[in-house]
Amino acid sequence: MVDNKQQWKAWIYLSPAIVLLLIFTVWPIFNTVRMAFLENYSGLQAAGGKTFEFGIQNFVKVVKYRKFVSCLKNTVILCVTTVPISTLLALLIAVALNSIKPLQKILQTIFFLPYVTNSIAIGMVFAAMFNIVGSFYGTENEIVVTAGIVNNVIEFLGGKTINWINYGSTYTANMIVMIVYIVWNALPFKILVLLGGLQSINKQYYDAAKVDSTPRRRVFTHITVPLLSPMLAYVIITGFIGGFKEYTSIVGIFGENMGPADDAGRLNTMVGFIYDALETNSQGRASAAALILFGIILVVTMINTQVSKKRVHY
Amino acid sequence: MPNKDNMTTMHEKDITKEKSRQKVVKLFVQVMVYAFLVAMAIIVLFPFYWMIISSLKTLDEYRMSVPTFWPKTVMLSNYAEAFTTANLGRLFVNTMIVGVISTLLSLVITVLSAFAFARLEFKGKDLLFSALLATMMIPGELFTITNYSTVTQFGWMNTYTVLIVPFLVSVFYIYLLRQNFMQIPNELYLAAKVDGTSDLKYLWKVMVPLALPTLISITILKMMGAWNSYIWPRLVANDEAHRMITNGLRNAFTDTTGDVNYPVQMAAVALVSAPLFLVFIFLRKYIMAGVSRSGIKG
Amino acid sequence: MKKKLVAVLLMLTMLVTMLAGCGETPGKTETDAPKATEAPQETQGGNEEVKKPVGNFTVPEGGYDGSAVTITFYNTMGSNLSTVLEQYIVEFNKLYPNITVVSTNVGGYDDVRDQISTEITVGNQPNIAYCYPDHVALYNLAKAVTTLDELIASDITVTRADGTTEPLGLTDEQKADFIEGYYNEGKQFGDELMYTMPLSKSTEVLYYNKTFFEANNLTVPTTWAELEDVCAKIKAIDPESIPLGYDSEANWFITMCEQYGSPYTSANDDHYLFDNDKNHEFIKMFNSWYQKGYLTTQTLYGAYTSGLFVSQNGVKSYMSIGSSAGATHQRPAANADGTYPFEVGISTIPQVNAAAPKVISQGPSVCIFQKSNPQEVIASWLFVKFLTTNVEFQAEFSMASGYVPVLKSVGQNPVYADFISKADGGNFISALSAKVCLEQEKAYYTSPAFNGSSTARDQVGTLLTKCLVMTGDNLDKQIADAFADAIDECEYNN
Repeated sequence: MVDNKQQWKAWIYLSPAIVLLLIFTVWPIFNTVRMAFLENYSGLQAAGGKTFEFGIQNFVKVVKYRKFVSCLKNTVILCVTTVPISTLLALLIAVALNSIKPLQKILQTIFFLPYVTNSIAIGMVFAAMFNIVGSFYGTENEIVVTAGIVNNVIEFLGGKTINWINYGSTYTANMIVMIVYIVWNALPFKILVLLGGLQSINKQYYDAAKVDSTPRRRVFTHITVPLLSPMLAYVIITGFIGGFKEYTSIVGIFGENMGPADDAGRLNTMVGFIYDALETNSQGRASAAALILFGIILVVTMINTQVSKKRVHY
Repeated sequence: MPNKDNMTTMHEKDITKEKSRQKVVKLFVQVMVYAFLVAMAIIVLFPFYWMIISSLKTLDEYRMSVPTFWPKTVMLSNYAEAFTTANLGRLFVNTMIVGVISTLLSLVITVLSAFAFARLEFKGKDLLFSALLATMMIPGELFTITNYSTVTQFGWMNTYTVLIVPFLVSVFYIYLLRQNFMQIPNELYLAAKVDGTSDLKYLWKVMVPLALPTLISITILKMMGAWNSYIWPRLVANDEAHRMITNGLRNAFTDTTGDVNYPVQMAAVALVSAPLFLVFIFLRKYIMAGVSRSGIKG
Repeated sequence: MKKKLVAVLLMLTMLVTMLAGCGETPGKTETDAPKATEAPQETQGGNEEVKKPVGNFTVPEGGYDGSAVTITFYNTMGSNLSTVLEQYIVEFNKLYPNITVVSTNVGGYDDVRDQISTEITVGNQPNIAYCYPDHVALYNLAKAVTTLDELIASDITVTRADGTTEPLGLTDEQKADFIEGYYNEGKQFGDELMYTMPLSKSTEVLYYNKTFFEANNLTVPTTWAELEDVCAKIKAIDPESIPLGYDSEANWFITMCEQYGSPYTSANDDHYLFDNDKNHEFIKMFNSWYQKGYLTTQTLYGAYTSGLFVSQNGVKSYMSIGSSAGATHQRPAANADGTYPFEVGISTIPQVNAAAPKVISQGPSVCIFQKSNPQEVIASWLFVKFLTTNVEFQAEFSMASGYVPVLKSVGQNPVYADFISKADGGNFISALSAKVCLEQEKAYYTSPAFNGSSTARDQVGTLLTKCLVMTGDNLDKQIADAFADAIDECEYNN
């Protein structure tokens, strides 16, 4: 039963958002679909007066790309690893921050700081941390000028240096670097959201728990997490959407090469593929790839929202 | 510690023992919590540190194959150069104008939409919400060409409008706030209805205060967005009067070979980040200012 | 249930739009797009017996009519260069007060490309832009770049504000004054037509540690065979060193093709020709050098190889091949007393045949875009002509940028000649680099540009890098596979 007054009120409240979305989001999406079905569509060629046939060649071409599966695999791996790890870490940090008294202000400020740090700086730091500068790794005339700070730490702890991102590095090592980097990048935002959520939880719940002298872990699993579940659902779902769109972080570490020197494109993702297509002004192919990606994210998000419907407590 | 020997005190002793054990555990947990937080803080701080030291290096030291963790010669002059090379004042004002206006408008739109999705019942609500979520899933780069042609047709080139309007609605924020609104017990809303409070008044007096931390988070994100936006402003408003900070910074320090003088650029980034950083410290107090207490009073 | 409904509905909406969409031709942009002339455009198709390809711009009778126009110029000039430019805009305005030039620094070269290729789709492109050949090939998809042939050939007389006149086109002397390799870069688009004018150029040069070379009686290599020799000797003197650092893998591959005369790419139908025996052969040779520890490249080394070259402790290199415009980065940090730890020498890069040298030509050219108002195109041309043929501007711009001028006569300009005469391996290293570049004026080559030529460039760079580090018995097979992969990638993107 929906009363009519609420009906039109709702639409009035929504109208500014809807109007803007129609113009700046929905219309471009429609245009994307159009380009995806025009064979070999190129915006520049269209501007030059060329017309394009209708067809599904763009989709065929995307799927036939010999590294399509690898792009897809990289995207999925990055997604299913970084989202849980970063969410869990962010949750722990947010709860810890919320539970302490001394130093709380300073620590909170520190966790906000990345927001005023330019993204260029972040990319450069990471490259410097993992990059080995030198030549001939692993051969007898190996020359290492600097092993990067991460390797310095490993050596200091008595371990053996690992070739993280340079030529000859393994796929696993590459992936570990990417996961660390993406998690690191994602943390501040998630901490911010979760901390915001934590602080709007009514203190009464905790006071009640205190009276009952409920153990810490039970408070966490039975009060904090359920009450925080809407925020958790938010960061997980948006995390997945963001994860499927991973691209810039890989450029940040590996450059346009999208892989170590001896295996360019090894770490390419779906969005990386889209960028490659845009580079040669093949908007048709880019759009087709985007729609394929869209389909995948849609399915995952539907699963996510189904799960969160059962788990989220409002 | 008192030492007694009858049965009841034995029991008491157990309790004190248990209590001191709990104390030790508590202390241990506290230490662990701090160790964890400090370790994470150091990791999170690293890029910030890098930005500062990079801003103090010479270009040649910056380009060295072995990165140095403390500049050999501290180039404070980079800051002076950053300040004189880029028209920082103008860039800053432009960015503030765009940042503040778009944050305010965006907050209004987000609050209204989130309220509709969280509290009101209307036909097609679930469908519309899912459709909104779906729009987040297409890489935004594909929109650029279409949106560019749209704003050209609107005649919005080189105006503040073109920097503000296209990105006012963020499904991310609507979603975030809706999650927050849905946590507020429905009883409050129904009670307000019985009292004859209007929706807008209820929204303003009850829901907004309760969701303040989230709204502040959104403000921070939106302001940062203005600070970091690059591709769109470059495309649509790259004239002196409207140029935004990142564009200004990126362009000002390219040297002859098209390379960027990163140390000076970093200095400029640090300079323009400073005011933002101060705003943050201020906002943090806000977030913590017993927001939860503002609860039921409404 | 509802979610499924959403999905179905979404898909349906899309289907509907798509059907609606395909009925509509992209005609909207067509009217906005720059179609300044009705001159026939089909020049690429008829490659059989077309005598004289026809350009896309017809000079209106009377040439520049003196009308007030504003022209925009996109570039990547930092503040030091835009200061020079602004001075000469003032000079230009003394001759043509009605032409307002607005110069905009758009960022880096890629930023210029991305910005313009978006702007072209709605007909908003600038009048003039800094360009690389790849960019022009991209803009040419929309036929947005003006061909300059008619303008260059035009003998219409233009009257300037100071009462003097000049021909609209280029005089024979002006044409002859351009360094040939640079001038011909404007014609590498497969149709013999001229699309760009060279503005300022750079190339690759060999930097070597002169102090070390002299101390050890080494001669500077002029051929690759000599280079191998020198590397072996250096390795014997300093086993801990990597004798040679080469910054750009892609340049190396393309230059080798040019020096051997083996195919790389073509601007015509079958674009990607680099998978051939000669190229396999030199790759294999470089692989063996790499395995002996003779050399490294930027990607393999993990940083600019100039860092290795200027290094004073630990691993060093004694030769470095890099951009002539980056000479100051190849100079070691000065001692406290202002002297340098070693003297840098600069020479032409090693050759296959030292008698007929080939070195790559890089650096920005400028192109002029189509506009519905032909006066804007003419005004743009007048400005481009002013910048590219003005000796003073070329001299001053070159000294400020580290690039080399595109005119031979700049060498006689007193200020520039003075600058060049100071050339040394220390304080005036930029002058030394410029001097070497000017002396090899006959050696410049450029590679064909077409949509996809930048992909080819990327691919051969990665290919070379990948092959250098290969080990094992079946090297030939590995190399062949790597070539096949690179060709695949190129062709996929076309």
